[in-house]
Amino acid sequence: MAVRREKAERLADEELMPLVGRKDPEAFEVLYDRHGGAAYSLAYRIVGDRAAAEEVTQEAFISVWRSGARFDAGRGSVRSWLLSVVRNRAIDFLRSRAGKAPKLDFDDEAALEQRPATELTEEEALRRETAAELRGALAGLPGEQSKVIELAYFGGFSHSEIARILGLPMGTVKGRMRLGLEKIRGELAEGLA
Amino acid sequence: MTDSDHNRWSEDLAAYMLGALEPEEAATLERHLEGCERCREEMRWLEPAVHSLPESVERQEPPKQLRQSLMAEVRADAKDDAREQARPAPARTRRWFLKPAVGFAVVALLVAGVVGYEVGKDDSGGGEGASTVVRQINGMTVKMVQEGEEGTLQLSGVPQVPPDKVLEAWVEREGEVEAVPALFVPDRNGQAETRIADMTGVETVMVTEEPQGGSEAPTGEPLMTMSVPQ
Repeated sequence: MAVRREKAERLADEELMPLVGRKDPEAFEVLYDRHGGAAYSLAYRIVGDRAAAEEVTQEAFISVWRSGARFDAGRGSVRSWLLSVVRNRAIDFLRSRAGKAPKLDFDDEAALEQRPATELTEEEALRRETAAELRGALAGLPGEQSKVIELAYFGGFSHSEIARILGLPMGTVKGRMRLGLEKIRGELAEGLA
Repeated sequence: MTDSDHNRWSEDLAAYMLGALEPEEAATLERHLEGCERCREEMRWLEPAVHSLPESVERQEPPKQLRQSLMAEVRADAKDDAREQARPAPARTRRWFLKPAVGFAVVALLVAGVVGYEVGKDDSGGGEGASTVVRQINGMTVKMVQEGEEGTLQLSGVPQVPPDKVLEAWVEREGEVEAVPALFVPDRNGQAETRIADMTGVETVMVTEEPQGGSEAPTGEPLMTMSVPQ
């Protein structure tokens, strides 16, 4: 039997997942309301247009709905898992739409400022603040490191493809990925997140 | 392993976590990870950096119709599901084996017979009426515990699966193949377990590696196939 919406809202993500696994629409709706924005934003960041981002997000959430029991708490948070499903779907979409280059800029702070005002919950405000800081952490990387990370994570390119695109030895590409991730990790350890 | 050997794996590790290794390179690294605690520790340490990447993107407001169409599909699905659950048991059986596109793994399941060799029967850990069969299959120890209608499939020595993959179990009864709803992954020690709610009439159990979220029908070569003693 489906839980009531108010009850579902009080549950942690990890508690919602078994309910989603039992096909509870209310639990699923709460999950979407919590993470749909981040999922759509990530899809948009990867595929670069709204209609495609909508399609990718819907497909990703439907796959979660149909396989809700498949979340493994040992592998991280529900949100990270969900976003990894979205990322994989979006990269598949990009690959099936050959020739479309991924977006590669981080110049979106201005766009964020110009967005029409919407109701900001405290949690959402905190997330936006964190996102801005993380953008800062990524943007704070040397360009050579942020570029290879972006091409891999948001572009879905392999290290050998990136080496070809940038005209670099493969070892250099992998080394820059490593240094970039280490630096972001270091920033996080200093209390950014 | 020297430090320079380790640095090589470290660089591969970052590329792997960003999804940037070629499939064969990823498979090589996964085999290395099975036996290298130092690399697994590094992976755990770097994970928050990778998880922070999707959080760094500019927030976009999803269109309202996305929520509406998603929830419409979900509610229709839930209604269908409830309707199917109300039917007699065989109604939920999916006849995937009739679809040519999903042939390989399903045929493997249907013709498998007994694969691997039986190590023994182990009644420890099961209550009254529980039966346990242990087999060695493809280098893994496979333990099938049945208690009443329920079954638990316990695997050890399972190779690590890539982050975008999961293990999915399938059962065959009366010539038809069904997915086991609970997907699973091996833990760091190569142990994996899934529960099969209804073992009635199950003749064969198979496990395949499938994309995150699972598949409607098995798509890959089976990791293991095991006949279930009747």
